[in-house]
Amino acid sequence: MSHILSAQNVNKKFGNFQALKNVNINIDKGKIVGLIGPNGAGKTTLLKSVLGLDSCDGELKVLGIDPFKKRADLMKEICFIADVAVLPKWIKVSQVLKFTEQTHPNFSLEQAKQFLSRTKIKMDHKVKELSKGMTAQLHLAIVMSINAKLLVLDEPTLGLDILFRKQFYDNLLNDYFDNERTIIITTHQVEEIEHILTDVVFIREGEIVLDANMDELTSSYFEVMVSQENYEEALSHKPLTMRKVFGKHIMLFNSTSRDVIETLGEVQRPSVSDLFVALMQEEQA
Amino acid sequence: MNTFKALLEREYWEHRGAFLKTPLIIGIVFIVVLLLGYITTERFDQVLTNGQTIEIGGQTLETTDPKFIKLGLDAFMLTTASLYHIVLFIVLFFFLLGSLYDDRKDGSILFWKSLPVSDFQTVLSKLLTAIFFAPLIFTACLIISHLAFFIVLSLLLLLNGVNPFTVLWANIDLINWGAFFIGCLVQALWALPVYGWLLLASSYSKRRPFLLAVFVPMMVGLIWYWYNAIFNYNLMKIGIFKTIGYFMAKSIQPFTSGLSFDAESFDFDATQQTNVELIKSMFNGLSDPIVYYGIIFAVIAIALAIYVRRYRNTT
Repeated sequence: MSHILSAQNVNKKFGNFQALKNVNINIDKGKIVGLIGPNGAGKTTLLKSVLGLDSCDGELKVLGIDPFKKRADLMKEICFIADVAVLPKWIKVSQVLKFTEQTHPNFSLEQAKQFLSRTKIKMDHKVKELSKGMTAQLHLAIVMSINAKLLVLDEPTLGLDILFRKQFYDNLLNDYFDNERTIIITTHQVEEIEHILTDVVFIREGEIVLDANMDELTSSYFEVMVSQENYEEALSHKPLTMRKVFGKHIMLFNSTSRDVIETLGEVQRPSVSDLFVALMQEEQA
Repeated sequence: MNTFKALLEREYWEHRGAFLKTPLIIGIVFIVVLLLGYITTERFDQVLTNGQTIEIGGQTLETTDPKFIKLGLDAFMLTTASLYHIVLFIVLFFFLLGSLYDDRKDGSILFWKSLPVSDFQTVLSKLLTAIFFAPLIFTACLIISHLAFFIVLSLLLLLNGVNPFTVLWANIDLINWGAFFIGCLVQALWALPVYGWLLLASSYSKRRPFLLAVFVPMMVGLIWYWYNAIFNYNLMKIGIFKTIGYFMAKSIQPFTSGLSFDAESFDFDATQQTNVELIKSMFNGLSDPIVYYGIIFAVIAIALAIYVRRYRNTT
């Protein structure tokens, strides 16, 4: 079993709507993959199939297991947060920990208690008494106390304030992630996670339009601040996108070498979100 | 690691109010009614007969043949027990209706499904809660309620110089509690098709499981009736309604489930049945083959509920 996740020609149809079109993707151990796409692009559909919450056509294996057929087995090895604040409202913190301990072979109660001791969450709190941010903290504490090979986070911080979001990803990176683990994240707040990603996957209308690691991205996409005198020349190199800031043109290029691009102006690493916007527009054009 | 125990405990945590508080509150109501009745009688007694009625009543009790006191106590314990059967059925009706729907409505299914628990285990834990653990809790609560009632009654007897041990406690028959618990299990057998249908409705429904659970059978029954009325000119063929009514009647009142359903062969006189005969009668009722058709229906419905549960994640 070489890949943590491997998908070959994965398709999913809802009636006439093709939600996933021939998705081919492999994810290896030790990666933090950002799955990025506009609303309705098929991110959630793909993740649902990966997590065994829905069926799909094609060859999909997670840790060598068919997710939909053997979801319960798979969940011993992977865990996920599929939305913010999905912990049941009526349950007490102590109860949710006890339940997880009794049902999950790789859960450490001690570790969860240790994570929670750093927060304001008390054991006899009910989930409905916690704020949205605290609920997310609790869920993260549970998930981080599970010794899983793959962690899937689908919009884990939606609707939380910036302090919670930052802390969430800090905890994830510092207290959880190591090279034995793999994380898949989807979020709309790309800027906040791009520094922790090792790979990005762009998905659009059910198709994978980009699957690359961050190093590849920085060596083939360049953002250049072009001054007025180089404007015409820059245009001839066919920029992917162009925007105007303070009289200067910021252009995004896809190029195999940095040399030519450097003559046009100051070169920067493009942000994932700019790149995302550019690639989405390119597909449409 | 003890998945199934954890699942059952989970149901108890979530439904403690319905399973534990409901029967205890009914027990408290009994005691309140007893006290109100006593105080009212006592007040009138003071005015009308100078307290003599209660005094004579107490003396009469001490000289009454214990056989009759026992009969009265049995009647009290069994009628209150049958009330608990009705309440248990109603509690379970709504428990099952929400059991595979509520977690989809609030999204918490995405947490439950992130744990290594199969949908088969989940659905089975709900069913087992309904047919065994909720009845067990209800039995314990019935016993507590009865004991609390008898303790209060003892105090009232003592207050009037009557020995509660010879008059009351010596005549309490523990078999009545056994009859209640056996009644619960018989109830579960009769109600199994209803429970299975509720699980399926709860698992399948996208918005209102109650409407699905109640109106679909009603519509099917109505269409069946019309079909027979229009094409066969048979206005008496109520088929589906009769079957549903049959199961519902037996499962709401398991104590009478051993009795014949037709008016012609009605053979019931409550005072003629001791608690042991009652238990025997309930077992006799299970020889009715329709019980087993009901169980077959339940197995199919539950299997479908599990199947649907795999695909349904949010509403």
